[in-house]
Amino acid sequence: MNIRGVFIEDTFAEAFTMRVARIIITARSERWAREAALKLTGFATSVIGCKCEAGIERELGTGDTPDGRPGQSVLLMTMGKDDMGKRLIERIGQTVLTCPTTACYDGLPGVPDRVGVGSALKFFGDGFQASKMIAGERFWRIPVMEGEFLVQEKFGMLKGVGGGNFLILARSADAALAAAEAAADVMASRTGVILPFPGGIVRSGSKVGSRRIKSMIASTNDAFCPTLRAVTTSALPEGVNSVLEIVLNGTDAEAISGAMRVGIDAACREGVVSITAGNYGGKLGPHHFHLRKIMSAEAPA
Amino acid sequence: MSEGLIARLRAPLRGRADLSEILSTGWTSLKAAELARRPVRAEEPLTVGELFDVSGEPGGRIRFEGDLALADRVGAGLSDGEVIVEGNVGAEAGMGMTGGSLEIRGDAGPRAGAAAPEARRGMTGGELIVRGSAGPEAGVLMRRGLVAIAGGAGSHAGAGMIAGTVLVFAGIGAAVGLWSKRGSIVALGPVTVPSTYRYACTYQPPHLRVTLMRLRTRYALPVEPRHLTGFYRRYSGDLADLGKGEILAWTAE
Repeated sequence: MNIRGVFIEDTFAEAFTMRVARIIITARSERWAREAALKLTGFATSVIGCKCEAGIERELGTGDTPDGRPGQSVLLMTMGKDDMGKRLIERIGQTVLTCPTTACYDGLPGVPDRVGVGSALKFFGDGFQASKMIAGERFWRIPVMEGEFLVQEKFGMLKGVGGGNFLILARSADAALAAAEAAADVMASRTGVILPFPGGIVRSGSKVGSRRIKSMIASTNDAFCPTLRAVTTSALPEGVNSVLEIVLNGTDAEAISGAMRVGIDAACREGVVSITAGNYGGKLGPHHFHLRKIMSAEAPA
Repeated sequence: MSEGLIARLRAPLRGRADLSEILSTGWTSLKAAELARRPVRAEEPLTVGELFDVSGEPGGRIRFEGDLALADRVGAGLSDGEVIVEGNVGAEAGMGMTGGSLEIRGDAGPRAGAAAPEARRGMTGGELIVRGSAGPEAGVLMRRGLVAIAGGAGSHAGAGMIAGTVLVFAGIGAAVGLWSKRGSIVALGPVTVPSTYRYACTYQPPHLRVTLMRLRTRYALPVEPRHLTGFYRRYSGDLADLGKGEILAWTAE
């Protein structure tokens, strides 16, 4: 399969089931909602080193938030159910509670699997906290020097998908970056999807384990490193001098495949040789996103 | 979703009627004929069917039509479902509610959402919306839930509150929130704060925006931009009791 001269490998991205929570942050202005969201999602690229993966899902208008203020929707993902509560409590507690004018709401209302967040953060109120039931949901009002921080007691949690990916193999680093930027731009604001790496782009794709250190979980994906073409079993076609990866997580497989479709389409541009994807032979992850199948779908979702 | 049941008053009430037993136990799946058999306390015992023409299909909703100004305890003990009254109601509407919503599209008499005379606590949940004004003692002893009054409220609104929210768009009478332990009384109009409340600060309570947005979107109450973006004077009280309650008084300053 070729798209505008870019070869689409007959392969698939292998992804995993993760837990996902949606966090709605509102603030007095877009600036402060975004400040909190950026801090909340900082250092959350990979569960390998960050314990969770998070990203801004989309910006919310005043008509989309529970309090009618500007907001940001964030997805936070963990490998297990037990981790979710810990990550939400520490991150919301350190980055949203501390941020001027913010409030924090559950973005998955009605989901039966729920984890306590406000119920833990309330203790910062040192006995001065107060709860308020609104439409059957409990909120905690935590007094702070600025005024009050409002946070929902419980947050919903769903099974999501983590580790969707594709690799852009290009003739030059500039071409790879331009293609990856184009892909990330069209994928970034899609509902149900986050790109947890910087700007949505990964330059240091990894393989499972290490050739030399047994305790390492992951190490550089040498097969796709252009500088190692002559000294390792390279997967790079001739003429490829730079590779960038797009990694995406989502609330469900449909969201991932829809985002991959528009992202790959945007990445098929001048200077790109081929698009491929990372997998482990299909043995580790239950979600397989076949590139050609995704790209042969009639219209971008 | 089904439009639910409709209960049309057959003839104007000539004396007081107590409707407390109509919706106080599970009613949302009752058929019209079944609901019509429920009792109404009046000078002479009646059934709902004798007072109202009940029609429609069960769907968790019921609409009362006709002047119910002489009907007391409408929606008392409500725990589930959506109740709409197209007009005025008598005393003690929504008394002891635990859930669901009761929307009165006219005025409510005394003690709307209040505790029963023999009870230690009033509403423990649900939403009581009065589009007109409410008489004295609205929300007395309420433990949880929301009483929102689009008009004004009489004296002693929220007196003895244990928790919950009483929100009044127009003026509130004297002795508001007296002896309250916790809970919020929100005054969007004129209010005289009792001397046992103490001023804390002027700010924008974040939880109030959530409540106001819900009242605007769910019930189309007249929430204005100034209510959402404005500031509120917070008074803590009743300091003669537990003192964990508050009166939030909207201010133009």
